[in-house]
Amino acid sequence: MSASMTSGSVPGPAKDLKVARALGTRRHLTNTVVKALCIAATVLGLVLLGSILFTLIWRGAAGLSLTVFTHTTKPPGSNGGLLNAIVGTLIQTAAGTVIGTPIGLMVGTYLAEYGRNSPLANAVRFVSDVLLSAPSILIGLFVYEIAVEPFGGFSGIAGCIALAIIVIPIVVRTTEDMLRLITPALREAAIGLGAPKWKVIVLICYRAAMDGIVTGVLLAIARIAGETAPLLFTSLGNLNWSVSLKQPMASLPVTIYQYAGSAFDDWVQLAWVGALLITFGVLAINIAARLVLSRGK
Amino acid sequence: MSMTSESTQSQNASFGGVQARAHAAMNAARISIRNLDFFYGDHRALKGIALDLPDRQVTGMIGPSGCGKSTLLRVLNRMYDLYPGQHATGEVMMDGDNIIDPKMDLNALRARIGMVFQKPTPFPMTIAENIAFGVKLHERLSKSAMEERIEWSLTRAALWGEVKDRLQTSAMGLSGGQQQRLCIARTIAVRPEVILLDEPTSALDPISTLKIEELIDELKHDFTIAIVTHNMQQAARCADQVAFFYLGEMVECAPAAQIFTSPKQKRTQEYVTGRFG
Amino acid sequence: MSDSTEHLVKSFDNELKRLRDMLTEMGGIVESQVASAAEAIMNRDSNAATRAVEEDPKVDALEREVEQFVIRMLALRQPMAGDLRRIVAALKITGDLERIGDYAANVAKRSIVLAQFNLPYSLAGLAHMAHLVQEQLKLIIDALGSNDTAKAIEVWRSDRVVDDIYNALFRELITYMMEDPRNITPCTHLLFIAKNLERIGDHATNIAETVYYAVEGEVIPDVRPKGDTSAYAVVRPKD
Repeated sequence: MSASMTSGSVPGPAKDLKVARALGTRRHLTNTVVKALCIAATVLGLVLLGSILFTLIWRGAAGLSLTVFTHTTKPPGSNGGLLNAIVGTLIQTAAGTVIGTPIGLMVGTYLAEYGRNSPLANAVRFVSDVLLSAPSILIGLFVYEIAVEPFGGFSGIAGCIALAIIVIPIVVRTTEDMLRLITPALREAAIGLGAPKWKVIVLICYRAAMDGIVTGVLLAIARIAGETAPLLFTSLGNLNWSVSLKQPMASLPVTIYQYAGSAFDDWVQLAWVGALLITFGVLAINIAARLVLSRGK
Repeated sequence: MSMTSESTQSQNASFGGVQARAHAAMNAARISIRNLDFFYGDHRALKGIALDLPDRQVTGMIGPSGCGKSTLLRVLNRMYDLYPGQHATGEVMMDGDNIIDPKMDLNALRARIGMVFQKPTPFPMTIAENIAFGVKLHERLSKSAMEERIEWSLTRAALWGEVKDRLQTSAMGLSGGQQQRLCIARTIAVRPEVILLDEPTSALDPISTLKIEELIDELKHDFTIAIVTHNMQQAARCADQVAFFYLGEMVECAPAAQIFTSPKQKRTQEYVTGRFG
Repeated sequence: MSDSTEHLVKSFDNELKRLRDMLTEMGGIVESQVASAAEAIMNRDSNAATRAVEEDPKVDALEREVEQFVIRMLALRQPMAGDLRRIVAALKITGDLERIGDYAANVAKRSIVLAQFNLPYSLAGLAHMAHLVQEQLKLIIDALGSNDTAKAIEVWRSDRVVDDIYNALFRELITYMMEDPRNITPCTHLLFIAKNLERIGDHATNIAETVYYAVEGEVIPDVRPKGDTSAYAVVRPKD
C-alpha cells in the first residue's frame, strides 16, 4: 500500500501517456475551431440585427413628431399622421387577445389536466401545433371565407377574429407546458386535503403556473401586434378615422405595408415611423414578459 | 468484590428484558387491512397485505425502493384514483366502511385521512391561506374562528412561533423544514383521524428532521399515524410498530423494539442489518 | 438466525470479525489463567501462580480495547437486530471475562499463602470443582467463537453441579475449622478459593445466557438453575 502511494502510480490497467497527450491536443484543436465558428456566427447575427435596428431608428426617428399621434392618415403631402392605424392596432390586438386567451387557456387546461394522452387530446394538441406554425396568411384567408365574404365586406371584427385564432395555439401551448411543469405532488397535496379537481386547478394550479401563462399571453400579444397578412383579407385597412368594428379598420402593419411601397416620400417616412413604433411596442412587451418570468424565480 | 450471585443474574435478565417491553399491548385498530391486492395495470404491486394501524399510534413502514410501502399509503387515501389503470381489491376497513369501495366519497375520506409528502408542497399563496385552503373545503368558519384554527394548527405543528408575524407572506419564502411543518399544519387543520407521512423528512436537514420526529411523537396523542421511511433509525425512533415490506408483500410486522432487536424473519434481519443482496 | 450473507458494507463484516477475534483471544488468556491457578493450588506450584497473576493486566487491557471498539461501532455503524445484539453481547461478555480473570488471579495469590501450610486433608473436592469450571469455561469460549447455542445451554445447565460441590465444600471446610482452630487460616483461604471458582462458573453461565440471546434474539426459555445454598448453611459444633 505505502509502496504504491510513494511511487505515485495509478491503480488499474497501464495508461499510455503519449496517446493521452496526442488525444488531448486534438481535442484542444477541435475545441478552438468550433468555438471560432460559433463566435463568428454570433457576430454575424448580431451585426444583422443591429443594422436593422439602427436603420429603423435612423430612418424612423427622423419622422417622429407629435403629428404622428394626433393626425390620421391623409393623402400624400397633407401632413398626415398614424393615429387611426395606432388606435386600430390597439383595438384589434386587445380584442384578439381577449377572445383568444380564454379559449386557449381552457384548451390548454383540458390538455394538461383532463385529456392528457387520450386520443382526443393528442388530436387537439396536434391541430394546435399545426396552427401554431401555419402561415398567418392562411388564417387571413380562412377568416375571409367565414367572416368577410358571408357578411358582405371587410370589418374590424374579422381582423379581431383572425388575430384571436393566432393567439389561441400560442396560449394553448404555454398553458399546457406550464401546467405540466407543476409537480404532481402539489396536485396530490391539494387533492389529499379533499379538494375537488376543479378547485385544485383553479385555486392551486393556475396560481402556480400564473407567471408562465402570463408570459405566454404577452408573447402572443407581441406576435399579433405585428401581423400584417391576416389583416389584409379581414380588416383591410382604412385611411379614415373609424373605431367601428363593422367597418374596415386601419392597423399599423397594414399601413406600413401600403405606405412603404408607395412613391411618396412623406408616406415612406411615416411607414418607417410606424415600423419603429411596432418594434418598440413589441420590444416593451417582450421585456415585460421577461420581467414577469424572472420575478417567479 | 461481589459475593452475591444474584447481582450478575439480574444484570443479565435486563439484557433480554427489552423483549418484555417489545410485546407491550397495541391499541385497537383504527384502520384494518385484509387481503389487500393492488395493481398498476397488470403488475401486482401489493400482494395479500394484512395489517392493522393501531389507534393513536405510529406505524412505520420500511423496505427497499419499490417494495410497495408508498403504494400502500396511496391506497389508504385513494390517491391512486387520480391515475387510470390502477386499482385495488380486498378490504381496508375504517369505522365499518371499506375505503377502497368505489362508492366511497373521496373528498370526505381525504378529510379524514390526511397525507404529507416527501417534498414539501406549500401552495403558492400566503401561509394563512395555505392552512385555510383545506379547512374551507369542509367547513364554514367565521373569520375569527378561522384565525383560531390557523393558530391552533400552526401551534400543533410547532411552527406558530416562527411564522406568527408573517402569516400574510408567501409560504414559498419558508425554509424546507418550515415548509414541511406547514404542510403538516395544513393537514391537521382539517382535523383528520389518520395522518399518512410519505418519507416526510427525506428532503430535510438533520435538525429539521428531528423537529418533525418530535412533532410526530407529539401528534400521536391525537392522531393515528402511518409513516413510510427509508431511514431505519427514524422508524426506530418514531414508530410504535414497524412493518417490513419486500416485493409487494408484508414480510413482518411487530413492535419497533422487536423488529430492530430480534426480528423473526430472515429477510427482515438481513434488511435491518444491511445485508440485503 | 444465521448470518450467512455478508453486509453490503464489507468493512463492517471485518469489524465484527475483529470483535469476535478479540473476545476469543481474551477467552483464551482467561482460560489459561484459570488453568494456571488450578495448577498452582493442586501442585503447590508458585510459578504457575505467578503466571496466572501476570496475565491479568493483559486481560484488563483487552477489556478496555473491546469496550472502546464496541462504543466506536455503536456510534459509527448504528447496528440493528442481530448485529446490535452481538455487539452489545461482546460488551457484556468482555466484562464477564475480565471478572473471571480477576477471580483466577485471586485464586493464584491465595495458593501461594496456602503452600505454606501442611494440609491434613485431601483437596479432591476442590480439584473436581476446578476441573468442572475449566470445562465450562472451555466450552463457553468455543460456543462464543462459533455462535453455538447448544453448547451455551450445556454450560448453562452444568452450573448446577458446580454449585452443589461448592455447598458440600463449604460445610466440609467449616467442619475442619471447628475441629482445630489451626485450620482456620488455610480453610478460610480455601473457602475463598472455592467461592471464587463458583463465581467463575456463574460468569461462564452469564456468558452462556448472553451468547444465547445474541444468537437467538430471545432469552433461554427456562428458569436458571440456582444451586448456591451456602448463604443459608448452618453448621453447629457437635456437643
